[in-house]
Amino acid sequence: MKRWAAGPARVAIVLLVVFAVVGCGGGGGVLTLDRIGREDAPKTMTLQLNNSYTHQSSTPTWADGFERLFTKFAEDHPDWKLELKIVPDEQSTQAQARLLEQARAGRAPDCANVDSFVVAQFIEQDALQPMDEYFDQEEIDGLFPFVKDVVVGDDGKLYAYWWATDLRLLYRRSDLVPEAPRTWDELIRAAQEAEQKDSKVDGYLFNGGRWEGTVFDNLAHFWSQGGELVDGQGKPIFHEGQNREYMLNTMEFLKEAVDSGASPERVATIKDYSEFESAAQAGTVAMFQGGDFQYPPLEESLPPEEFKKWEVSFIPTMNQGDLQRTGTGGWTMGAFSDDPEKVEMCAEFTKEVYVGEGNQVTGQLPTNPEIFEQEKKFQDPIYDTFREGLKEGEARPGVPVYPEISNQLQIAIGTVLTGEATPEEALDEAADASMAAYEQQSN
Amino acid sequence: MGRRAQRRVGDAMTYLVFFFALLFFGGPLLWLLSLSIRTQQEIFITSLRLIPENPTFENYTEVLYTAQFSVFLLNSLKLALAGSIGALVVSAPAAYAFSRLTFRGNKLFLIGVLGLQMISPLVVVIPLYRYFDRLNLVDSHFSTAMVYIAILVPLATWMLKGFFDGVPPALDEAAMVDGCTRFGAFRRVTLPLILPGLTSTFVLTAILAWGEFVVPYVLLSEPSLLPISIGILNFQGNYASNSTNVLAAGGVLAMLPAIATFVILQRFIVRALTSGAIKG
Amino acid sequence: MASRAGAGTTPTVKRALSPRGMLGENRPTLWLAPLLAVVTLFYLYPAFEVLRYSVTNASLLDPDYEYTLETFTRVLSDPVLYKVIRTTAIFVIASIVLQLLLGLMIAVAVNRASKRRLPGMVFMRSLVLSAWVMPGVVIGIVWAIILNDADYGLANLLLGAVGLGSVQWLATPNTALMSVIIANVWRGTAFSMILQYAGLQSIPEELYEAAEVDGAGALQSFWYITLPQLRPILMINIILITISTLNTFDMILPLTGGGPGQATEVLALRTYNVIFQNFSLAGGAVLAVVMLAIAMALTLIYQRLLRSEGSL
Repeated sequence: MKRWAAGPARVAIVLLVVFAVVGCGGGGGVLTLDRIGREDAPKTMTLQLNNSYTHQSSTPTWADGFERLFTKFAEDHPDWKLELKIVPDEQSTQAQARLLEQARAGRAPDCANVDSFVVAQFIEQDALQPMDEYFDQEEIDGLFPFVKDVVVGDDGKLYAYWWATDLRLLYRRSDLVPEAPRTWDELIRAAQEAEQKDSKVDGYLFNGGRWEGTVFDNLAHFWSQGGELVDGQGKPIFHEGQNREYMLNTMEFLKEAVDSGASPERVATIKDYSEFESAAQAGTVAMFQGGDFQYPPLEESLPPEEFKKWEVSFIPTMNQGDLQRTGTGGWTMGAFSDDPEKVEMCAEFTKEVYVGEGNQVTGQLPTNPEIFEQEKKFQDPIYDTFREGLKEGEARPGVPVYPEISNQLQIAIGTVLTGEATPEEALDEAADASMAAYEQQSN
Repeated sequence: MGRRAQRRVGDAMTYLVFFFALLFFGGPLLWLLSLSIRTQQEIFITSLRLIPENPTFENYTEVLYTAQFSVFLLNSLKLALAGSIGALVVSAPAAYAFSRLTFRGNKLFLIGVLGLQMISPLVVVIPLYRYFDRLNLVDSHFSTAMVYIAILVPLATWMLKGFFDGVPPALDEAAMVDGCTRFGAFRRVTLPLILPGLTSTFVLTAILAWGEFVVPYVLLSEPSLLPISIGILNFQGNYASNSTNVLAAGGVLAMLPAIATFVILQRFIVRALTSGAIKG
Repeated sequence: MASRAGAGTTPTVKRALSPRGMLGENRPTLWLAPLLAVVTLFYLYPAFEVLRYSVTNASLLDPDYEYTLETFTRVLSDPVLYKVIRTTAIFVIASIVLQLLLGLMIAVAVNRASKRRLPGMVFMRSLVLSAWVMPGVVIGIVWAIILNDADYGLANLLLGAVGLGSVQWLATPNTALMSVIIANVWRGTAFSMILQYAGLQSIPEELYEAAEVDGAGALQSFWYITLPQLRPILMINIILITISTLNTFDMILPLTGGGPGQATEVLALRTYNVIFQNFSLAGGAVLAVVMLAIAMALTLIYQRLLRSEGSL
């Protein structure tokens, strides 16, 4: 194998390069470990980025892509050097809390990756600078509605540019489930039928373990009934009035999926999207609720004749004709600096590196339908489905209490799935804990 | 049963223990190695085959290719060295005092120091974060190393006291009669005598520091400062791209330095441990 | 007290530096000064700060805070806390017992092998140690792959190969806790093994020879010689692994994340969650105080046991 033979030689070369880079502490190129641009450039901007979105990404194709984009940017803007502060993706919640704290103390970086779901909170705290002057009106107007809702403040100004997003969908093997199920009942029935057709498969897999994805994915079921997690003040209301019923319906549906045998008990342990890919590869799953981002790896890892069987549809709803909803997340760029020149630079960087080009590198979905048409990467017809789906996108509420609500709902779903608690008990506990956290935060 | 038969049974038992230990401890390690030479396509194919169909060194290349990896290793090395050397410097005189000097509360004090060991780093690191933040010392190797020292000091003091106890007091008293001060005797006579003890304390504390997680997790955020125990998270990829294979390669590379140190020095360490501290 | 000598600086300093003064080299002050400084700055001061934060409503999101006992009562009256403490107790006790037993078994085997010059001893020692020096995060991920509940999980494949059915390793609360304990034992046994091995090596051979002359069998000499001789090191071993187990959450995060539900959420992980999910510095501080109280209680118990050993 060519790959196999090339290994050792590449290791040797890379080692040399690594030691050269480390050895001379950065050197004088336009792109180093911690700088974009020449060291002697007159103007400086500090820039905080997620590890994934840099030339040091752990995904080689991303690293190569951003290296190219960063280099080009540096060459196009010789007057500037951008000093990089790279934060690990895994520390996202912590890093965002820290960023807000720094912004308050006036020590935030000039420009930074801001998680889409904390943007609202940052706007409310006056941490971000408006960027609309530096974007064309079409670039703002063209954004998907759920994107605009978040990044445009109450004053109508654009406070951050959301450039990458994703959505959740139902994947199914069409040989086992020919028709896309549209309701929860249809989903469970289809899962059971699939299990009868092939005794090896689990009918329906979903995230049910102790992690953010569990809440993020399953919120679609709650939202599609019209549920809301928090009110206008950011107070948890998912346990009150109609919302209570919606949330109980959601939990009962998940419980029913397990009790009916449509889903195996182990869904309570699934805390990683790649579980679904494993199961697909092992040929032991008929349907799963996953992300758009799983489509390319599925295509890559399954034999073509197997991959052909997989189809994608929207997430089933409780009743036919309910709203179609899907959870969307992703990353924005925001400016913290008071200096208009730096805000402009931040906007330029966003446009030239991330919007469009960055989507092309990462395969993460654009936030503007227009870009779906422009970029080569998104010409596959599957992206039409994704684009359609994004119209029904809903972002998680960007309030300080959300991480705790999520934590509590993860626990609730877990205890319901393992039968430790009834949906009512689990919801009451989650509500109490979330309210306590909210009250304490709003002191 | 004859003596020889008994030996045979003993040997068989020994290997039986080895066999089960090999399964339990070796199995997951082998699996880690196996993962580290898999392609993305093969991570998910779980069958009992250890060597994948298309073994590759690509993952190791990826890890080394991200220039950060060597930075992480270097940071771990720096922090582990600073922490363990610092701990030795601080605890050697204290251990000497506990071993040689009679003063009120000697025992109580020693127990107090050991008791500190029971305070979790997680407990102290949170206020330290705020405190360092005010002093602008967050994201600094200096402040992090100081915390490492503090965490390692109780263990180091306890071990070194054992070693000092193993040196007959007559030796330093003789030196003092010859005109040395106590400090002089400590430095020129006693310390060199417990060199093996210093080394084993050093290695043990360095390995503990190498694996420290909570302290750097809270106090450091810049990748250029992270030790490998945290930096390894960067190789986990994100949910859009699973890279367990790359992470496995990183894990293998991350434990090599610590294992190498131990394998090279292990005879020495074990001898040193047996000669002093353990007798207590 | 040196300062009470009072008559001018020079005599005071001289007196202080004299062998009988406070700073004299036969007094502990100077010898202990660096230790005291480090410990005060980085242990006692923050521990005090934790106490202080625990009676505030401090949050990571807000630099201002007020003093209140509310956080304290809220956290302590939360029934979840007691569930978490119970989980932690099971996790810690099971880990300690298993690590000590396994560590001792392997140490005895390795010790025997080294005395009899049997091959494989160094390899065995290094193998167990490898588990100990691996980053916790990697340990969690490897065990998550091994203990995957699906039929194609590694452990289940092995069970299938010998004709047994699949086990739900992580899906039920009890098995999940057991799985976390197994992974922790896998990681921590090396440390106990090294200490025990060093302890075994320091037992004088003559004791065994004398026992053999008296006609004692292998089991008897283990019971009457090895174990009593090892007791001091066992104590210190217990102290050290108690604290490291109490602190463990790096490995649990990738393995179960604390779930399903809260089945594997230990105190350290909860503290971490309260601070970084809930942003509640005060809430985290209260939990830290709880940890502190547990640690102090254990120290007292261990100290009792140590003292009865007469080893300190």
